[in-house]
Amino acid sequence: MNRVKLVRAATTIYFVLFLVFVTWPGFVPFNRPLPLVLGLPFNMAAIGLWVGLGAVVLFVLDRSEERNRAGRPAEDARGRPGRDSRAGGAG
Amino acid sequence: MERWQLIAALILVYLAVTLGIGLMAGRRASRSVTGYVAGDRRFGLLVMYFVTGATVFSAFAFLGGPGWAYSRGAAAFYILSYGALGIAPWYFIGPHAAALGRRFGYVTQAQLLVGRFPSRFLSALMAALSVAAFVPYVTLQMQGAGIVIEAVTDGHVPLAVGAAIAYGIVALYVLTSGVAAVGWTNTFQGIFMVAIAWSLGIYLPFRLYGGVGEMFERILAERPEMLSVPGLTAAGDPWSWGGYSSAILVSAIGLMMWPHLFMKAFTARDDRTLRRTVVLFPTFQLFLIPVFLIGFAGVLLPESPPNADFILPFLILRSELPVLVVGLFCAGALSASMSTGDALLHAAASVTVEDGIGPFRRLSDAGQRRLMQVLVLVVGVVAYWFALDEDSSLVVLLLTAYGIICQFAPPICAALFWRRATTPGIVAGLVAGSATAVFFFTTGYLGMELRPLDLHEGILGLMVHIPVLVGVSLATRPQDRDHTEAFLNPRGSSGTHD
Repeated sequence: MNRVKLVRAATTIYFVLFLVFVTWPGFVPFNRPLPLVLGLPFNMAAIGLWVGLGAVVLFVLDRSEERNRAGRPAEDARGRPGRDSRAGGAG
Repeated sequence: MERWQLIAALILVYLAVTLGIGLMAGRRASRSVTGYVAGDRRFGLLVMYFVTGATVFSAFAFLGGPGWAYSRGAAAFYILSYGALGIAPWYFIGPHAAALGRRFGYVTQAQLLVGRFPSRFLSALMAALSVAAFVPYVTLQMQGAGIVIEAVTDGHVPLAVGAAIAYGIVALYVLTSGVAAVGWTNTFQGIFMVAIAWSLGIYLPFRLYGGVGEMFERILAERPEMLSVPGLTAAGDPWSWGGYSSAILVSAIGLMMWPHLFMKAFTARDDRTLRRTVVLFPTFQLFLIPVFLIGFAGVLLPESPPNADFILPFLILRSELPVLVVGLFCAGALSASMSTGDALLHAAASVTVEDGIGPFRRLSDAGQRRLMQVLVLVVGVVAYWFALDEDSSLVVLLLTAYGIICQFAPPICAALFWRRATTPGIVAGLVAGSATAVFFFTTGYLGMELRPLDLHEGILGLMVHIPVLVGVSLATRPQDRDHTEAFLNPRGSSGTHD
């Protein structure tokens, strides 16, 4: 359980840092063309890295959430079908 | 047979395949409104992935992206920055909205909002703002298709005819098959776009400069200002950090609020599919890198195209590529245009019927479906009429559309997460925010630059919107607890937000 929350927090922090470091003023130190990375200007590669790592971070989050869901099937089963019948009240 | 005729023949083959896929997809969907708008809620992962990717990457990314890199240099990097940022919150918001959709039968964003905040005015306002934002967007896609066809056929097929043919086909499959067609054609078009972008993005720098690194070294030596963020404005002056940063912010917020994208939450087969789409989305985003390479490849050429958005077709024609490659490129660009255009047309019609007319008049299921089909045609014709006016400043209009669309974010977040939000608060916030965005846009358009720090009008709108929403909500009577509970926790006690 705690692990799940930790991963959620880490994901949130990653994307907040992502926003901070691709806009002003966080991006300023990375805003130079050299050295070229795989032929691309340094600043463009830095943004590409944030995006690529973003996919990795989301993947880790997804694994963690899936394991969490699989880990408490009893709770899920109770929540879903019959027992909790407050449903149905149309807005 | 002349070169342009061969290219035209290739384009026709491509369009025929798209049409075939679109028409075949429709035969499997049910005839109900849910079938037409939400694809019977059963899109799998592959389709969802490409629907989202191909819908987001419009003609703007395929033609505007290289155009920006070519004329404004590093300013284009903002387009690379915002996508992943905008999609990440969707990992939790998407399944939450989808659960509400399944529970209450929502097929549009405004229905969700009005479900929580009952107000016919709110519904009509959402519909009006959405359609107002859609028309310039569809127009831009049509012009994109027309530009590509006109350019590669040496003007033998003028913009008006090219756009009419491409969008005639789009209208045909959207009319007969609804969202099922949009899903399967986008899958096909998405794969096509990615393949074309990567191969051209690598090929052009090698052909013209001997390599990607070599190209950037030369640009750095001759035009160093092109490789430093925030890049240049359209006029060629240095762009401001305020403008660049707020463009990222407003686009990230606006991205998932576009009704045609938000509605995809209601088409997903299950939450698993929705979440995986979010996880994979940034991989689609990286496709902008080759798109930028194409634009940068044009920077040092002595000649220039008539308009920066023509840089892609211009380079293609100059580098004397084989006919087959030109034809394929053209199909890729058409894919980009049509895959966004079809989703927009479809969403504009759905939103008008469901939110603009539905709350005021009762219609039968068949009647609704027929009315949507009529509206697809009406919106298409209106957008086409604008598309024929070649010097309309559409990119400017599109940016304003983003300013309006991102005003949907506070009400949606409040509907899903904030118990204390009230109907008067939501309506007042939306009116105040949109009015602010429109005010700063209009004054800027008339030559009075009133925006502080060059911030995007959408951000300025949000700065007014959020305090009004919160203030008015707190000053009015709270909503019934059972009512709010259904929206904050749609899956009962086992919701993901704990």
